[in-house]
Amino acid sequence: MNLDYAGLFHALRPETSLVVGALIILGLDLSIFRRHTPVERLNLALWIGALAVLAAAAHVWFAPEGPVFGGVLILDKLAMATRLGVLGLTLLTFGVASAAPAPRNPAEQVAIILFATTGFLLMAAAQQLLLAFLALELASLSLYVLAGFDKTRPESAEAALKYFLFGGMAAAFLLFGFSLIYGLTGSIELPQIAGQLFHVTLSPLLVVALVMVLVAFGFKAAAAPFHLWAPDVYEGAPTSSAALIASASKLAGFTLFARLFWREFGAVAGSVSSAHGEPGWLPAVAVIAAVSMLIGNFGALAQSNVRRLLAYSAIAHAGNLLLGVIAAGDAGPAPFYYYAATYGLATVGAFGVIAVAERAGPCQKITDLAGLHRRSPLLAGCLAVFVLSLAGIPPLAGFFGKFTVFSAALQMGGLAGPAGWLAMLAIALSALALYYYLVILKQALVAKPAPDAAPIAVPAIAKLALVLAAGLIVLFGVNPSLLLGLF
Amino acid sequence: MIHATLHAYVALSAALFAIGLLGVLIRRNTLVVFMCLELMLVASTLGLVAFSRFNGTDDGNVFVFFILTVAAAEVAVGLAIIVALFRKRQTIQVDELNTLKH
Repeated sequence: MNLDYAGLFHALRPETSLVVGALIILGLDLSIFRRHTPVERLNLALWIGALAVLAAAAHVWFAPEGPVFGGVLILDKLAMATRLGVLGLTLLTFGVASAAPAPRNPAEQVAIILFATTGFLLMAAAQQLLLAFLALELASLSLYVLAGFDKTRPESAEAALKYFLFGGMAAAFLLFGFSLIYGLTGSIELPQIAGQLFHVTLSPLLVVALVMVLVAFGFKAAAAPFHLWAPDVYEGAPTSSAALIASASKLAGFTLFARLFWREFGAVAGSVSSAHGEPGWLPAVAVIAAVSMLIGNFGALAQSNVRRLLAYSAIAHAGNLLLGVIAAGDAGPAPFYYYAATYGLATVGAFGVIAVAERAGPCQKITDLAGLHRRSPLLAGCLAVFVLSLAGIPPLAGFFGKFTVFSAALQMGGLAGPAGWLAMLAIALSALALYYYLVILKQALVAKPAPDAAPIAVPAIAKLALVLAAGLIVLFGVNPSLLLGLF
Repeated sequence: MIHATLHAYVALSAALFAIGLLGVLIRRNTLVVFMCLELMLVASTLGLVAFSRFNGTDDGNVFVFFILTVAAAEVAVGLAIIVALFRKRQTIQVDELNTLKH
């Protein structure tokens, strides 16, 4: 194994920028800015954090492609695209955080967001089981803390505990699966594992390992039937944390999932393109995808809380994303990457609108958004873009995301196999989903505001972040090759 | 001296994992659930060490060092969350954590 430490340091410059940025934030907050107000400390931390993220993005952009440190990390096009996407979504999350009321420990919040982002970046490039596990845990542990960051509300702590217990169980499943894979193949490097698995038939032990890893990713991605934590966490966590959990974490998680399964278990994928598919992990993923779409969409219909509605919509979108992962074997990672990145943009934006609306009063029920067009036309306009993109209305990015994923799935074998049937189910359920998205928009754009509802003032940075997110959704929707050109 | 076979180690590891999972699913006290989670992690650790010995590579042993570190970090975060919750709710029973419902 070629151990090139200089090359490793070179390749890890984005992560280094983020960690150094986080340490500078913590140091300054403890020394010079200790006596300032929480709002000033939050703004300073956010600006330094944004600089660190931009520096990391520049390093990602100029990084050379290829394996690093004997193949522990792989810097390919998918890794670069995911890293840029994650950094962009983190930047928008900072915009959401600036709109929310400053927590008691503002610098720690920004620093932990940066640590979580470091984990996402490593997840995007990991090509070894140990690094994949460490990256996932770095991201997850940071997200547990962020979910419980609002120490004044019991709901926040409860959300954090539920997230922690489910996430901890997922980590244990993942690790047990990894230990079995290591036992079966004698290696923890994905290329070598893949080489070993070519000679192995689908033994019971391998099936157990696959199921364990699949369950773990089901938990992390909030795919049904492992989705139970998602609505509670989205409802209870502080808005900026929910935005990060729903967007950047999804993108990095699905990239890791696709890489792990296609690179490592490609030999035992099975087939879902014809009715008599071969056994493997693809049929299992197809079942999880179908259940997620059904539970997500039908669950969302019954919601009166806007955050829980977004959570059920996230479960439905996770089903579509799994379909994209299934199609990635033939069509490459571009379709599901495009879907995950633009879905992340729309979700961060929706949570950003909620965060700003919360400045004027609680914003949990859908009816709390009533008359948003009178109280702040800008917010209502941005919310319309985000929600319509989630629903998949052209010309917004959400439409093209669905189009590219579904057409990739249909090309796998037409309507002759489960992949095609799944695509048809997804299209039918997208029509159903339009209903609950329009319920949100009806409140925001048509309903009259409550008599005591005051106009909402949008802070400048939040305004910038929301307009940027909405603009990017329109831009990527009109010109998808801007994102697809990364591949 | 009796040498245990690989099968014995894997069976023990699977049994520990199953006991941990059962505990997570049926126990109602958050702290006990938390201990069972740790048991599940330790089960994988045992498997990795055994496989490392019988595969003749060191990767599994190195993996274990990192798992122990991660488990320690997980304990820190988990206990902090439980303390924060107890301060607000005065309970750590899973059944009574039902503020968040639709």
